[in-house]
Amino acid sequence: MNTSLKISNVTKIYPGCVANDNVSLEFNSGKIYALLGENGAGKSTLVKILSGVIIPDEGKICLNENNLNLNSPLDAKKNDIGMVFQHFNLFETLSVFENLIIDSDEKREGLREKIDTIMKKYNFSIDLDIPVLNLSAGQKQKVEIIRCLIRNPKVLIMDEPTSVLTEQETSELFLSLKKFSEEGILIIYITHKLKEVMRLCDEVAVMRRGKLVSISQVKDENIESLANKMVGQNLKTIKKTKEKASSDQLIRITNLNFISEDPFETNLSDINFSVNRGECLGIAGISGNGQSELFQVLSGEIISDKNSIEFNKNYIGDLNPQERREYLMAFSPEDRLEQAAIPQMAIFENVALNNFKSSNFFNNGLINESKIKEHSKKIISDFNVNTDNIDLKSQFLSGGNLQKLIIGRELITSPDLLICFNPTWGLDVGAINYIHETLIKINEQNKSIILISTDTDELLKLSDKISVIHKGKLSNIMNAEEVTSEKLGILMGGGN
Amino acid sequence: MIIDINFVGLIIASIMASAVPLILASCGELITERSGVLNLGVEGMMIIGAISGFALMTITGSLIIAVFGAMLAGVLISTIFAFLTQTLITNHVATGLALTIFGIGISAMIGKNFVGIPGKEFPVLFEGLKDTIPLLSPILFGHSIVFYFAFALPFITSYFLKKTKIGLIVRAVGDSPESASNQGINVRLVRYACILYGGAMCGLAGAYLSMIYTPQWIENMTGGRGWIALALVVFSTWNPIKILIGALIFGGLTIIQFHMQAIGVRIPVQFLTALPYIVTIIVLVVISRDSRKIRLSTPSSLGKSFHKDN
Repeated sequence: MNTSLKISNVTKIYPGCVANDNVSLEFNSGKIYALLGENGAGKSTLVKILSGVIIPDEGKICLNENNLNLNSPLDAKKNDIGMVFQHFNLFETLSVFENLIIDSDEKREGLREKIDTIMKKYNFSIDLDIPVLNLSAGQKQKVEIIRCLIRNPKVLIMDEPTSVLTEQETSELFLSLKKFSEEGILIIYITHKLKEVMRLCDEVAVMRRGKLVSISQVKDENIESLANKMVGQNLKTIKKTKEKASSDQLIRITNLNFISEDPFETNLSDINFSVNRGECLGIAGISGNGQSELFQVLSGEIISDKNSIEFNKNYIGDLNPQERREYLMAFSPEDRLEQAAIPQMAIFENVALNNFKSSNFFNNGLINESKIKEHSKKIISDFNVNTDNIDLKSQFLSGGNLQKLIIGRELITSPDLLICFNPTWGLDVGAINYIHETLIKINEQNKSIILISTDTDELLKLSDKISVIHKGKLSNIMNAEEVTSEKLGILMGGGN
Repeated sequence: MIIDINFVGLIIASIMASAVPLILASCGELITERSGVLNLGVEGMMIIGAISGFALMTITGSLIIAVFGAMLAGVLISTIFAFLTQTLITNHVATGLALTIFGIGISAMIGKNFVGIPGKEFPVLFEGLKDTIPLLSPILFGHSIVFYFAFALPFITSYFLKKTKIGLIVRAVGDSPESASNQGINVRLVRYACILYGGAMCGLAGAYLSMIYTPQWIENMTGGRGWIALALVVFSTWNPIKILIGALIFGGLTIIQFHMQAIGVRIPVQFLTALPYIVTIIVLVVISRDSRKIRLSTPSSLGKSFHKDN
């Protein structure tokens, strides 16, 4: 049976921003559609409208010529529209089966049978009776997909589904999606990853600043053409000129172990590596394999054995982050608003926060506000932070601007080593480019970087050496030139 | 020394009776907290229940009206809390504390006219069987219906949470209100219902105190039991069966230390009075040490306000 979904003249206006500006699109079953755009382009708003989470100001949605009134997620479900959100809508402490039965009207046994049939058909294997928090990201996504399939959907919307998946899991997902498509389910795939569009989709619609800018066949496009449409200008490609790094060792980690008391953290076992001056060491891995613990151990949020970390010929394993900063280390944590900055404080106050001692920001315990503000203004102009109001609370900065501010702040002291954790996570292409350029510049000034990231493309672009973390253990350290993303994928999944 | 076996039975029965208000209030609060709402107004709701029950009994003479009236009073006062925290999105902690202060104040005001009035006798069940089995008879028979209900409640609560669909929805809302809302569950409605249910159980707990346990009205007669009930919920790691254990230990030590004081055991009184609080918490902490289970039973959204962004 054919399904057609038609969006006509949908508009959604928020105070100060037009999220969707008169968007019209038509989808037909049998094809996989990509909805492409940067963060803030309006694609998430559009799919939230389709799934009933957001009600549009204007416009209508028709499924097979029937006008739909989507006022709640329940309406979307009733009208056979299934949606897998980027942030999973699962109940972590409930079992898989409880998660699935909660919005189903079927009896326990009937539902179990149905789930078993679906899992067999698509080769999923998930234990239904364990709590969801014990599942990997890929398995959680499968639970979400099963939840949709139980209702025999006509339309399946996937919102940035691969952001948490490994290479292997991504391939599996793509196979499943193609199968669903062949079975007549209309698939709408939302992403900002160009490679995935090329690999999976038949047609692509590009959005920019709330507007639909192009609809085309994927076979008529290539990565560059799509990127330019998405950003609205020609992007320069960044490449690191890989010089021979020095052999002057800056930091050395020896037999570092961390055993957590929290069973939901990962233990680190027997970590050994070193980084030379001017070098970037990339650490790849699927999130949740010990990256955040490793970052905390390196930054001093978790104190370890004094001799396990040697930095610039000093043993600093037992020092806290503030003390480590005095040895010229700098940190950019993963969670920008929780760990790196204090959301309710102004930009200039955040700038002052990591510079208690080695600056003239404070006189006899008093805040030297003019000095801090002067300095903040310099960061804002040097690092292209798009605001001129340094009294603005940092929570109102966009992710990209906030990240630039944080990196800028960290580089004030001209540190010898910058440790960053997912520095471009969730940023748009423009901001990613800028951060990448900045990181390359750091290396060019003979300073070092430890880059912990879940984005393999980023690691391959920026690193001189790469290692993979899996279940708290580091793989051998490899030269970046000898590594491919396939090889990283295998190591990230625990293979050899 | 010969110990009368029926005397032991009576002591156990009195321990169980003193645990009743704790079990009722804790099991009510447990449902509220499992939906992600932290209501610190337990003490206030209990005392409102106590004065409402006693006042209605004195005025109408009907025990049934008094008991259900006390529960209704608990529901009404918890509706204030629900309206503030769920509709006006106020902070749970501050609102709950205000509720307790309000409850204590208003109950003292209403209660002025009821001080010194004797209570009524509350009918007990199975009184004829009281002398049939040694030791067990005083434990099992001759109690009010509220007593039997209280000891069934932890098991009912456990069954409700684990086995019923509505229980599953309550847990889901407490785990992640965002996900629940996206699944089409009306989070606000579920939370209102859980808050009101908690209010009803606290009202009943209060009525038990003023109508059955010590049938009279004394200002501030809950005497901190609401706070103990709150602590039991947390230290039992949101497990109704462990609430039962905790309430019995607390009740038991309270009764036993009275007897010890009466016999004249040479331990400082202050220590004896503090003993139930310390031991209950230690025991509950020890039996709930499994951090995996704690993670699974702790409502992740506890105390956090939820409002749909739109």
